[in-house]
Amino acid sequence: MQPIKRSDENAHAAAGRLPGSVVDDDIMQSALAVHLGRKFGNEVEICSFARKSSGFSWITYSFVARSPSMADRKLILRIGPPNGLFAPYSVLPQVYALQSMPGTRVPVPGLVTFDQNGAEIGFPFFICEHVEGDVPAPWAGSQLDEGHRRGIAGQFIAILGELHKVDWKETPLAILNGAGNERGEVGAIAAWRASLARPTARYYPLLDWGGRWLKDNCPVPPRRTVVHGDYRIGNFLEDDRKITAILDWELTHLGDPHEDLAWALMPTFNAGSRKFYGVVERDEVIELYQKASGIAVSRKSLAFYEAYALYQAAAIQMCAVRAFEVDRFNDMRMAVMATQMASIVRAFDRALEAVA
Amino acid sequence: MSKSFDLLIDGMIDALRAHVLPKSGDDFARGQVFSVIFALNGLKLAADWKAGPLQEEVRLQDTAFFEVRRLAAKMQHPPIPATPRMEAGLADPVRLETLRDEGDRQLGELLFWATGEGALAADRDTAKEIERALRGFIREQLKVEIGITAKSMLHQIATGEEQRQ
Repeated sequence: MQPIKRSDENAHAAAGRLPGSVVDDDIMQSALAVHLGRKFGNEVEICSFARKSSGFSWITYSFVARSPSMADRKLILRIGPPNGLFAPYSVLPQVYALQSMPGTRVPVPGLVTFDQNGAEIGFPFFICEHVEGDVPAPWAGSQLDEGHRRGIAGQFIAILGELHKVDWKETPLAILNGAGNERGEVGAIAAWRASLARPTARYYPLLDWGGRWLKDNCPVPPRRTVVHGDYRIGNFLEDDRKITAILDWELTHLGDPHEDLAWALMPTFNAGSRKFYGVVERDEVIELYQKASGIAVSRKSLAFYEAYALYQAAAIQMCAVRAFEVDRFNDMRMAVMATQMASIVRAFDRALEAVA
Repeated sequence: MSKSFDLLIDGMIDALRAHVLPKSGDDFARGQVFSVIFALNGLKLAADWKAGPLQEEVRLQDTAFFEVRRLAAKMQHPPIPATPRMEAGLADPVRLETLRDEGDRQLGELLFWATGEGALAADRDTAKEIERALRGFIREQLKVEIGITAKSMLHQIATGEEQRQ
């Protein structure tokens, strides 16, 4: 379900502070047929069009493209809605990642087409091949047997190592390197700080102060690698006990590989457990990762990025708070996210103490 | 009514009107939704946050300000509010929420000051002690908020599926 703006929508829109439209699935389907018809050079019928998620950010659809000139193709459409948590959206990091991974040992869905401007559909979007498999939800992990989870965890860590071995300089991801005037990882912290500095009703002193501490104490990466940015249980497909695709590359950037490792280890993404996927001890994860990546893990850097993970989690929650309180989107999930702020800030403070 | 309470009730009403009512084909279910909206409108007129936790937060902030003033007596420091900021018996959630929010910003300023180069150069040990004290009081304040926060329903919120806890 897509949030829409509350009753003062018009006043806000007139002030130029809000995007002016919401996502209509019927219009989306028609526009998609036009776009793919042009892309494939023949009339295309869109069948079995369905929203796959009601997420807080990108909206995902599955569908079948049917055309007289080709066999049916099962495809996935992802669009960046104008009123998502991190709007305005760019498809480019995801596109560069999907373009860069073929030929590596990091499985990703094949990219079919994309449009950053979203002229035909109305929103930035990309389309990729459907990959067989299910997304295991972090909170449902314990329903799978331990052997199953250990097998998946091992693959997941090995793929992370492979990702961090990718020579990005020879791929489309190189464009994310920017002008090279500032360390990318420091710039990323500054960007979250800027996001948190936007006006909301609540101000959390520890969050503000801790953000500056992170910026001032950001460690130098052992190697500048591709960072997935949201590498965790729940962001991959598995089929018959095999990981078939790594998903959700929207936060991909270049930076410190410890960032992905710390994010994956967050208890929130492991059914509340300190063990990875609830089954692999932290030390074993580090050992497996080092073997797969060839990167020596620094305990201090890992602790730093565990604090940074909580800082990012808090910043994301504050985006939800802002969407509800300032932009007035009537999605109650965002209001509820706001209620978790105190717990996250406390965990962040503890993590900072562990680094210092 | 305090601003955040007002926003929350308005958000609930708008969410029901925009997302639930249009998909409620059953007359009885629609009647239930309209009744909830009516009840929420009533709450808007009659209810507000409980004063107790807000008073506790403001008290903790005041203790922090008092302690920082004592520790920083011989240092140049940013303005520290005079305490107590609450008059006896203050129970108006609007005023309390405003005091709490102002207090958070002032605590933030003091924390930045205590960990800044100026304070550390002037008296490193005292500055460190002030940092510890401030962080401790802010943590205590977070505990008050955590104590009135319902358990997270991440799975249900994200997927719309009910999960047995």
